[in-house]
Amino acid sequence: MYSTLPARSSASLTSMVAIEARRFARHPLFLLGVVIALALEAWVFFADGVTVSEDTTHAIDMLSHPIIPAFFIGLTSLVVAARLTRSTEVSAEAMGTAPGTEAQRTLAVAGACLVPFVAGVAWLAELFILLQIRGVHPYELWFGTMNDLHVWSILVALGPVACLGGAVLGVLVGRWLRFPGAPAVAVVVVAIGTMVGSLPYSYTDQGHLRVWVPWAMWHTGTMSDGEAWEGVPGYAQAVLTGNPATYLLYALALCALAVAGAVWHDRTARTARLRLVCWGLVALVVALYLTTAFTGIEEMIVSRPIPPLEG
Amino acid sequence: MNVELTAVDKSYGGTQALRGVDLTLGTGITGLLGPNGAGKTTLLRVVATSIAADRGEVRLLGRDPHAGHAELTRVRRSLGYLPQELGYPSDMTTFGFLEYVAVLKEWNERRARRHEVRRVLDLVGLAEQSGKRIAKLSGGQRRRVGLAQALLGNPRLLVLDEPTTGLDPAQRATLRRTLSVVAHESTVLLSTHQTEDVAALCERVVVLADGEVRFDGTVVDLVATAVGQVWLADHEVPGAVMTWRTGTGRHRVVGGPHPPGAEPAEPTLEDAYLLMLGPSAASLPA
Repeated sequence: MYSTLPARSSASLTSMVAIEARRFARHPLFLLGVVIALALEAWVFFADGVTVSEDTTHAIDMLSHPIIPAFFIGLTSLVVAARLTRSTEVSAEAMGTAPGTEAQRTLAVAGACLVPFVAGVAWLAELFILLQIRGVHPYELWFGTMNDLHVWSILVALGPVACLGGAVLGVLVGRWLRFPGAPAVAVVVVAIGTMVGSLPYSYTDQGHLRVWVPWAMWHTGTMSDGEAWEGVPGYAQAVLTGNPATYLLYALALCALAVAGAVWHDRTARTARLRLVCWGLVALVVALYLTTAFTGIEEMIVSRPIPPLEG
Repeated sequence: MNVELTAVDKSYGGTQALRGVDLTLGTGITGLLGPNGAGKTTLLRVVATSIAADRGEVRLLGRDPHAGHAELTRVRRSLGYLPQELGYPSDMTTFGFLEYVAVLKEWNERRARRHEVRRVLDLVGLAEQSGKRIAKLSGGQRRRVGLAQALLGNPRLLVLDEPTTGLDPAQRATLRRTLSVVAHESTVLLSTHQTEDVAALCERVVVLADGEVRFDGTVVDLVATAVGQVWLADHEVPGAVMTWRTGTGRHRVVGGPHPPGAEPAEPTLEDAYLLMLGPSAASLPA
């Protein structure tokens, strides 16, 4: 019935993403989160080592470290992305009569969420630079003791992808939750949901149930008090059950679903194609969740005790 | 014709904002006058494609904006709109905001886009303020940022809701000059409470009251309707549509019976506008 429009939207979108990415990268809250994450990583890295001889100290608990960028970059990015998404609403009446749609504006902020992802990658690079200074303890559950794909998956999913996920969740919150303070409420819900939803199952036979939470724990850290806890011997650490590789894909699929959900807010964008994309992503998320929960590491991998090595 | 409205109705709940509005506009500037609540903003929103009419036919730039997303987008590519109230993202500079809107208006090539933003900044006299955050600009400057975003891309249809609000006399004069240039090739529809702006700028005026068009014609024709109905009297005259004491100490009397001893006065557009509204004009806010 109607002729289609010339394809100008992709060029517009690229330009809008560039503008929103600059706004994201200059946001004081985001910058504060990045600075804290990078500084804290260095501090924790050197504070947590295990000294094995006068001149040798080994780094430990490497798989627990992604909580630093996830918390300080991911959660601040949630707030920043929500604010960026909402910020143009004050001009909505004028912008709404331009050819560019709300869906494009949403996609532009979603595209700008690559900025916190890059910040997460920078954190990962910092971690590897620090490891050049202080090596990893030989008994650490890390490269060489674990499947490399699993290690990379845990580091990337819980670090850079968590930063991306926090930001994308912010876009979703910015589009759908209109009450004042919605981003702050979302931060609290994510943090509490992660703890309440994950911890009770982590060391049990139902450990696979924990992976649905916004940021799933994969690593227990070292039980440094020497006492056994929840089946993990003193001075040992454990990697929890599930499939880290598909968890990475699951987290990315959740990000894509959040973007689609935010775009869905624009009534003019609710086409049959978008509906198909949404349902496809829901199916993918469910499939990846089930794969993550029921394949991969079948039982907790417990490390050898990590006290100072005997001379 | 760039704007063709036929029997357009629009309601909000139980309130009828527009009743059977017929309007046809070609190039040039048309002023929209009317009291608060007359339906001016609603009419402008319909023409700006911000809202859809409930009934009636709307054709803009030769297209039906209700005929699907593609047609609507084609209309919007040639449309500039300054709403009555326009907010701005708190972190954006003047240049950044205009660049953002320019992208929404499909100025995709960076160099051309930036050139266009600089052009409209020059046009509204804000070139010096381009790097400033909009939040730090004065009310009049913010209004001009709003005007600048509407002017991006030389739109063929420019819809301005009270563009002179917050502008000082010099800025209003600059705006008039800008719009007079734009109007050579475009249709400009603006609403204002300032009848002197309409007198100075518009070749055509539409008076709206209670959602209906009360007058549609040239400014000269509207003024002519008041000939013989405006006087200068030495004292207040009861029964007039409107009367007030002028700076000379005499009373200007608009409408009503000829006051005894009063001398006829040259009517202004404001006199004609007040007469057009009739007795209800007496209750208008000052």
